[in-house]
Amino acid sequence: METVTVLLGLVALATVLGLVWRARTGRIQRARTAATSAASDESSITIPGAAPFGSRVTLLQFSTEVCAICPTVRTQLSALADELDNGTGAVVHVDVDVTSRPEIANQFNLLQSPTTFILDGNGVLQARIGGAPKLNDVRAELNRMLNPALV
Amino acid sequence: MTSNDPRPAGTTQPSGSKAALAAKPGEAGIDPRGPRFGAGITAVLLLTVIGLGLDSAATLPATLAERASQPSFILFAVIAALFAWGAFAGIRRHPYGLFFKAAIRPRLSAPSHLEDPRPPTFSQGVGFVITVLGIVLHLTAVPYALVIFAGMAFIAAFLNSVFDYCLGCQLYVLLVRAGLIRRGRSAV
Repeated sequence: METVTVLLGLVALATVLGLVWRARTGRIQRARTAATSAASDESSITIPGAAPFGSRVTLLQFSTEVCAICPTVRTQLSALADELDNGTGAVVHVDVDVTSRPEIANQFNLLQSPTTFILDGNGVLQARIGGAPKLNDVRAELNRMLNPALV
Repeated sequence: MTSNDPRPAGTTQPSGSKAALAAKPGEAGIDPRGPRFGAGITAVLLLTVIGLGLDSAATLPATLAERASQPSFILFAVIAALFAWGAFAGIRRHPYGLFFKAAIRPRLSAPSHLEDPRPPTFSQGVGFVITVLGIVLHLTAVPYALVIFAGMAFIAAFLNSVFDYCLGCQLYVLLVRAGLIRRGRSAV
């Protein structure tokens, strides 16, 4: 009887962990910076060797090679950037593989892959997302950044 | 059988298409349901280990030979060997994966996309390390080591199977940062 209790408890624990993980992963966490009008050098993010950033918004995705969902996220985010961009270069998705670049993973305190940063036109961090982003939330966040008057 | 067709290499990938989610161009992807199926079997076996081993976990047998011949330990060692198979031979040669491909997959509809085999192979390696630690501690007569490590492996396998949790996504960045994984830039 005791053994059955332990086994059921273990299944219950794993289920709770899974539900908590699923609820938390992919949430947009706004950066705690005060509304910065001018970009200072230290707050603007640059990645040596990465593709050029967007003039208004950049979705900066950090991936590793051992990450099953990274290619999915890459496809989704670049499609979203294309959709909002209209060929103007305003919204750009950049994917950086940090497998061989631990200095980048350390610099930005990456804890999981994919981690996605939302940067403004000055390359300043606005929000970060751990795990597979919830696409509708990202779309809303980008619309808010692109059309501040509507808020 | 067309199950492991590599996606055409170097083609421009249509945005948002699930067909674009395969492994690296030119490399065969795997059905993502295969590793989850295998993780389900592993989770059930690990629960069985705990069920068999819990009663004797507090007071282990006195001799090494007795500890090594307990049913829970033997099953746990078999699971460890299967993890080693998946980790070193690759997930595509794992017995559960082969069984899935031969017996289960023909009865299912086509997968929505194919996946890179490296993440589940990495997860097999994590499972192997956890189970080997449990084996070593159990053989050195550490009480509860077998059921605790089986429990940890169970949680990982259960999350993988039921919630499509990707252990590599969570752990790999930390291993890279700790300097445990080094790759030349030319390799990327």
